[in-house]
Amino acid sequence: MRYLVICILSFSIVFFTGCSNKSVPKKETIEKSAIQDSQEDLFLDEFDDEFTIEEKPDPFNSYNRKITSFNDGVFEYVLMPISKGYDKVMPDEVQNSIANFFENIVFPIRLANNLLQGKVQNSIEETGRFIINTTIGIVGFFDPAKSYFKLEAHKEDFGQTLGYWGVGAGPHIVLPFFGPSNLRDTVSIYPNSLLNPSIYYHHRGYNLTKNSKHSLYVKAFQKVNESSIQWQRYEKIREDAVDLYPYLRDAYEQYRQKQIEE
Amino acid sequence: MFRKVLFILISLTILTQNLMANEQKNLKEHFLKKIAEVIVIVKNKENNKSMRNSKIVATLTPMFDFELMAKLSLGKTWKTLTAIEKKKFVSLYVERMKKSYSSKIDSYSDEKVEISSLIQPKNNRIKLITNLVSQNEKLEVVYKFYKPKKQKTNKDRWLVYDVIILGVSIIKTDKAQFKEFLQTNNISELMKQISAN
Repeated sequence: MRYLVICILSFSIVFFTGCSNKSVPKKETIEKSAIQDSQEDLFLDEFDDEFTIEEKPDPFNSYNRKITSFNDGVFEYVLMPISKGYDKVMPDEVQNSIANFFENIVFPIRLANNLLQGKVQNSIEETGRFIINTTIGIVGFFDPAKSYFKLEAHKEDFGQTLGYWGVGAGPHIVLPFFGPSNLRDTVSIYPNSLLNPSIYYHHRGYNLTKNSKHSLYVKAFQKVNESSIQWQRYEKIREDAVDLYPYLRDAYEQYRQKQIEE
Repeated sequence: MFRKVLFILISLTILTQNLMANEQKNLKEHFLKKIAEVIVIVKNKENNKSMRNSKIVATLTPMFDFELMAKLSLGKTWKTLTAIEKKKFVSLYVERMKKSYSSKIDSYSDEKVEISSLIQPKNNRIKLITNLVSQNEKLEVVYKFYKPKKQKTNKDRWLVYDVIILGVSIIKTDKAQFKEFLQTNNISELMKQISAN
């Protein structure tokens, strides 16, 4: 079809320029650029379906924008100075080990959600990882499961499980301190936290923290450690933003979509 | 007669498949060669930062179609621009890409680039799926190549028109943010914003 259009266009151009060759020489160049334009349009159309942006309603747009700049401020004036200082005094190995530890203890979230998505092989591997890293890896500070046993992590959370079973993302919501999220992932925070031993729940049998306050401190520490490893990444992402909110929103939704598809 | 036709058809398919496989192999090798060149530049301590970055940009520019990326990032708006605006936008976008890439290189530390697989959905499209492997993580980076009908001057045969990092497409996110920005601002304000960054 496109070729047909090109053929017709080029034929008509040849025909018309042929007719008017002598009388109006200028017209030729005008039409030449016109055909270049239309060829370019056709060429660009070939890429169109790869980059269609889903027209999604964004009911919390103005609220989200405010929280985005709030979070950005928290990052720049609170989290980043602390993380940078922490990064300076802490050796990289220690930072990574602490991150490994926190990753290891949320094994129940990964196991449950691998199972809920029927990923049996991944569930077995995750269990293997947990056993190896908790024992040989000294309560999870090291990751011999990956380095020696070549067992890769399979991160799954409840938001991904819902997505896997066809639950849509819903409107985008930016959470204070936590950053970009959507309705589906916000709802999933609760079931995820129930399986997170470092978050205190009075009626739950296993708690690694003594009370809610304690659990909040632990969470803050985890966040600082995490951003001490990754603070540069957010800075680099931010540099590319012309309009920070839609930039982060789209990046988050694409990233989650990819995680769900895996 | 039928046998002959069948024979010709089969050999043609094998031939084209061979050609495609060859093309894929060449692209992989070319890509790895480029990455190796970049790593040599990064590791060379004699270069200062700006010299190093400009060398890297010079090495990689033939592989990228920044102009096309600029056009795609504007989506439908591109067609509404005047010739002068088009030219200006492309040059600003290209500058921004180069700057952004250089700044990412600044945080490079010993990561390795591995090719995990290659997909050729169409004759003139190739998706190169790579992993950026560091000590404690593996980031998936996908390079989307296309093959222009005629090779462009000073450019490779296959050109990158999008990079997808952990599922996040550069073009898509740019398109989304430009689109939303343009709902309340005009194109010259967008260009101002891009050059201010």
